[in-house]
Amino acid sequence: MSIDTIAAGVRSGERIGFDDARELYREAPLALLGALAHGIRLGRHPEGVVTYIIDRNVNYTNICVARCNFCAFYRPVGSPDGYVLSFDELFRKIDETLAVGGQQLLLQGGHNPDLPLEWYLDLFRAVKARYPELRLHALSPPEVVHLSRLSRLPVREVIDRLVAAGLDSIPGGGAEILVDRVRKLLNCYTKATADEWLGVMREAHRAGLRTTATMMYGSVETPDERLEHMFRLRELQDETRGFTAFIAWSYQPEHTELQGVEATAVEYLRTLATARIVLDNFDNLQASWVTQGGKVGQLSLAFGANDMGSVMIEENVVRAAGASYCMDEVEIVRNIEDAGFVPKRRTMHYEIVGDPVFRAREVPRRFGLDVAKHEGEASIPSELASYRGRSRAARDARRSEPPGGAPTSAPE
Amino acid sequence: MMADEAERLWETHDILALGTRADEARRQRHGDRVTFVRVATLALDTAREARWSSAAREIRIAGRPHDVTAAEQAIDSVVRRAEGRPVTAFSLAELQALAPDRAGFVDVLRRLFGAGLTSVASADVDGLEDLRQPVEAVLAADGHIARFTVARATHESPVPLFLAVRALQKTTGAVRAFAPLPRSVDGSRPTTGYEDVKSVAIARLLLDNVGSIQVDWALHGPKLAQVALLFGADDLDAVPVEDESADGRRRAPLEEVKRNIRAASLTAVERDGRFGVLES
Ligand code: SF4
Repeated sequence: MSIDTIAAGVRSGERIGFDDARELYREAPLALLGALAHGIRLGRHPEGVVTYIIDRNVNYTNICVARCNFCAFYRPVGSPDGYVLSFDELFRKIDETLAVGGQQLLLQGGHNPDLPLEWYLDLFRAVKARYPELRLHALSPPEVVHLSRLSRLPVREVIDRLVAAGLDSIPGGGAEILVDRVRKLLNCYTKATADEWLGVMREAHRAGLRTTATMMYGSVETPDERLEHMFRLRELQDETRGFTAFIAWSYQPEHTELQGVEATAVEYLRTLATARIVLDNFDNLQASWVTQGGKVGQLSLAFGANDMGSVMIEENVVRAAGASYCMDEVEIVRNIEDAGFVPKRRTMHYEIVGDPVFRAREVPRRFGLDVAKHEGEASIPSELASYRGRSRAARDARRSEPPGGAPTSAPE
Repeated sequence: MMADEAERLWETHDILALGTRADEARRQRHGDRVTFVRVATLALDTAREARWSSAAREIRIAGRPHDVTAAEQAIDSVVRRAEGRPVTAFSLAELQALAPDRAGFVDVLRRLFGAGLTSVASADVDGLEDLRQPVEAVLAADGHIARFTVARATHESPVPLFLAVRALQKTTGAVRAFAPLPRSVDGSRPTTGYEDVKSVAIARLLLDNVGSIQVDWALHGPKLAQVALLFGADDLDAVPVEDESADGRRRAPLEEVKRNIRAASLTAVERDGRFGVLES
């Protein structure tokens, strides 16, 4: 079919099939892709609002046994650079987040064998006891799979326990490309297969949680595999309606084992626009200014995005791989308004909560993102001794303890 | 295009429609070709000892000279070792400051072009009260200006500035390339992506008598520079010369610039500092 015919179909609201999506993605001029995507976005959000959230992206540990070859963030077990945040450090970060108007903690981390499910349950309970209003947007599907394996409990049971402890929603990280050929090449097949990732999301949606979905493109996949990823998400969304938003971000190659080069800005805008066209059952598409910078991030608003993502106070993962863009609330709002939209703060569920915080009260400007750990801070908190770790070091330490040694609270 | 239409375009949020128009204008003039130039930039203070990569297609001396002799000596020293490569240097305002009056300025320029200077490296169109007089002095000295640039971001409409460039071109014909994106911005309030692509697109549409709309690759970065190519820009200035970066060949600047041009479905053509095409 010709590009014009496919475009006419998209304009008339027809659902696009794989072959036509491929034709558009590969051949359509950028401006046409943008116009189609923007038309769909305006149809879905005619009020001209662009949303954003104030939250903090906290990585509770960088110790990880998954060893994805595209990841510059993780450290192997036993690495001197490995860390786990203490509960107190997390509380301090939450206090700072609340102070700038944040209402959510995005909590993700490595697959650390010394953090059993009970550690997460204790953490969530402690957070909710202290901050009942705070939303916990935590643990991407591979982390849930990891906890399921570690605790030898089914995914459904793990999710139910986490929800009972305070989990509010699940971030769509760890999706990379939902095609197993790609996952094997990225060494992330064992952390979660495509079906496992989708399976966790299905269970989460069943449990009443809303989640996001991401795509990391630009590493080793083909354009067709990017589309396959989008179609798999669309299929699950048809089934559950549990996804709130889709976020595409480009693979960041610096300091990774895989190396390579980052996909270009035009590829980002094409991918974003195509996602808006394919994902006709997703309400929200985020602009990834974290990987694209503020300028292309803002241009995303003309290519299908209706959300500027997060005014992040902290970010560790993308920065470890070379990107270091920062936008505080003033900057995000200025960019939204400059593009002709009305900025509104939202929750993780994309409910509007209000106008910019800095317009109601003084908020200090931020020109850099905070990091998980500052120099000189202990890398492993003492409270971890009370959990039953699964790493070799933790097991050796237990073996050398006298009978009746360190207490455990982990029910393994 | 008339001024009031350009002002309306500056107010638009429909950057896709604007971009499509500018892209058409750009394609009528250049087809799918994008030219780029690899530039070795030398600091004036150390220009006489400086070395550069053989990959440089323009050698540019940057810095404010104290006097004509210092400028002339630096140019002479670089030209002697340039093996025929174009040598550009200084800004028009920096050179104007060396001369007491217009006649003296033409003499200054004659000395520098006589020393082998290919072109004055740049002229800020927002930096000089009267642009026409110094530009005509360059022409009177049988010289060129490599690029016309915008020094500072104002967040105001750039249309009056662009109209001044159009008028200058009409009377002098001296504008070979115009770079509409400001070179200096307030870090706490940078120009936005919308402002930048609108500036590039409006420059292309308004300056129908100027050959190239240029973006500085090193200054603005690959992402904005690449997107600008689809909003009316056709030339990438200041691609660094290092052939081999520490990260390997695929990340070398030459590969990166070509990859970005290709990914925008355009054809990369290398040029030198005289706007001569080196490959096709
Ligand atoms: S991407 Fe996540 S799971 Fe993979 S190595 Fe990095 S921290 Fe571990």
